[in-house]
Amino acid sequence: MTTPSVNSTDRFATSTTRVSIAGIILAICVVLLLFVISTSMIQELFGLSRQIEARVPTFLARMGVLITALVAAFFLVTGLSYYKRNKVAVAPWLFLAVGLVFFLVYVIVPIFQSISYSFTRWDGLYDINGIWTGEWVGLHNYRLLLDDPNFYTSLKNNLLWLVLFMLAVPAGLFIALFLNQTVTGIRIYKSLFFFPFVISQVVVGLIFTWTYNPEFGLLSKIWGWFYCDTKLNIVGNLTRVCSVDPPSILGDETMATYGIIAAGLWPQIAYCMILYLTGLNNVSSDQIEAGRLDGAKGWKMLWHVVLPQLKPATFIAIVVTVIGALRSFDMIATMTQGGPFGSSNVLAYYMYDQAVGEGVGRYGYGSAIATVLFFIMLVYISYFLWRMYQDEKEGN
Amino acid sequence: MFPNPVEKRSSGTRLAYKLSLPIALFLWLLPLLAIFMTSIRPASDIAIGNVFGLPSSFQLLQNYGEVFAKTDALKYLANTLLIAIPTMIMSVALACLTGYALAIYRFKWALPLFFLFVAGNFVPFQILMLPVVDMSNRLEIINTVPGLVMFHAAFQTGFCTLFMRNFMKALPFELIESARLEGVDEFKIFWYLVLPLVKPAIAALCVLIFTFIWNDFFWATVLIQDSASLPITVGVRTLNGEFVQQWHLVSAASLLAAVPPVLMFFAMQKHFIAGLTLGATKG
Repeated sequence: MTTPSVNSTDRFATSTTRVSIAGIILAICVVLLLFVISTSMIQELFGLSRQIEARVPTFLARMGVLITALVAAFFLVTGLSYYKRNKVAVAPWLFLAVGLVFFLVYVIVPIFQSISYSFTRWDGLYDINGIWTGEWVGLHNYRLLLDDPNFYTSLKNNLLWLVLFMLAVPAGLFIALFLNQTVTGIRIYKSLFFFPFVISQVVVGLIFTWTYNPEFGLLSKIWGWFYCDTKLNIVGNLTRVCSVDPPSILGDETMATYGIIAAGLWPQIAYCMILYLTGLNNVSSDQIEAGRLDGAKGWKMLWHVVLPQLKPATFIAIVVTVIGALRSFDMIATMTQGGPFGSSNVLAYYMYDQAVGEGVGRYGYGSAIATVLFFIMLVYISYFLWRMYQDEKEGN
Repeated sequence: MFPNPVEKRSSGTRLAYKLSLPIALFLWLLPLLAIFMTSIRPASDIAIGNVFGLPSSFQLLQNYGEVFAKTDALKYLANTLLIAIPTMIMSVALACLTGYALAIYRFKWALPLFFLFVAGNFVPFQILMLPVVDMSNRLEIINTVPGLVMFHAAFQTGFCTLFMRNFMKALPFELIESARLEGVDEFKIFWYLVLPLVKPAIAALCVLIFTFIWNDFFWATVLIQDSASLPITVGVRTLNGEFVQQWHLVSAASLLAAVPPVLMFFAMQKHFIAGLTLGATKG
């Protein structure tokens, strides 16, 4: 204390002016928020019609009020004597408040809402009075799922994605080992190899749609070297004559999924590669030297000395690959839209198609599919959390 | 170092390695090169089947110019920036706060809440889709840029919290302890002591979130139908429908959509990679 005259208990006293000003501002904000949200009077008052153009300013105004309210609440709480006496207990909740509420509202609560939707039949609409128009149907949607051949196709494709996507892990390791050298310019090579991951999946999808195009795609060009000749036809134009026609990968029911998975592997391998490259950076050189003295070489060295040290990298590579496989949506949407005849559907895309695709929305049925996908993912999430929990216990 | 450095091998191996590098890279990026070559040639080339040879004339500027002139590509790019930058700021700022609470304070909810953020971050998007659409509808922010930003910011807070909390956990705790004993207020410790120390984490997160949001497709399709607010990823797919058979324009538009994240990556490579490894491997 710089001023000895101040009584030490004053440190813990409520600062009255600060609290009352903050309280007044908070009250005004709360009133404003309730008023604006519950009625559209403000909009009519200022002559703003309920058009799309009016939405953004209205939203920004609400956000402004909300943020002011939060700041006022912060000053109010930190001015209270209770806070000053229990700083270490109260402070974490103040730090958490906004982020946690935000996350709960947009992520955690919707999970349960979706699950509850799955027991209803609903098209996503409300009647004029704002009353929900759906009806409770119990397990009906799940019973429908069991008889839906498209659901089984999607499930089977999801499994295919999971299994084949795993190839990204060893492939990434292989490229990482190939690039883990110190020759000049290797840094540029590393970043260029990583390139596909930075590009949006939509663009990757378009690139591969083009690559697979049976008329002029890259693949048909390579196919042409083996099976096609360019000849002059009767009219005198150059035409391509093939002994075996190039396959139309995305147009073929048996091949479409494999084609999309191959496209998806491209960025995923790049991701796994970068994980392993960072991992290899941290492999202890002492152990490798020791291994060399013991006569370990090549595969043996890799398997017994290097891979055990790469465990954290492998773990993350597997986690992100599983999640990537189950989240596959963008590529299917850009490359085949689930076709031909639903043969390349996965649960993620099928759900979207059923819920908001063309025609009427089937919110209930879509939610049932989403719930199935969620529980599949939950297996991996639980495993990931369990592993994290083990690490935390060791850490403390 | 593993595998054995090529410098220690025979000169033949070294040469073979140095030769194999560009070849491997060429094969790896072949699809990308092919689409680039397509984007700089005239439409007539594609019609006669000259897809991978030298273009009959180089039309780099014409093709890319045409994409801007004929379509709303510029508006789509602007929309993407309007979505990505506020999202980045909001989620990183919130995660600094939540990460600090979960890393520094030892209260019994710290670990369960941290796991809640981590778990939420990994759920499939489809389970969130319909309630989020419904909520945005009722808040009247569906079809708007702020509506999309709100969701993205909330969702990305999960990932940012995971990263930030782990980063802050590695800070020397004694530093904070001694500041507390000095009587420094909790918020001053956060602002003056901890924030400067986590600058690298903030940089890494900003780069990553920007790229994630730039590349987002699913949420933009779900939450925005109005073409005035569409971001570039959805825009490119719409263009794909408009430019049927005009592959030189489709490929030019696709590559345009990929440029900003690529520039970001090359400019901030170190931070980018640190972020991607989820802070698990320090390097």
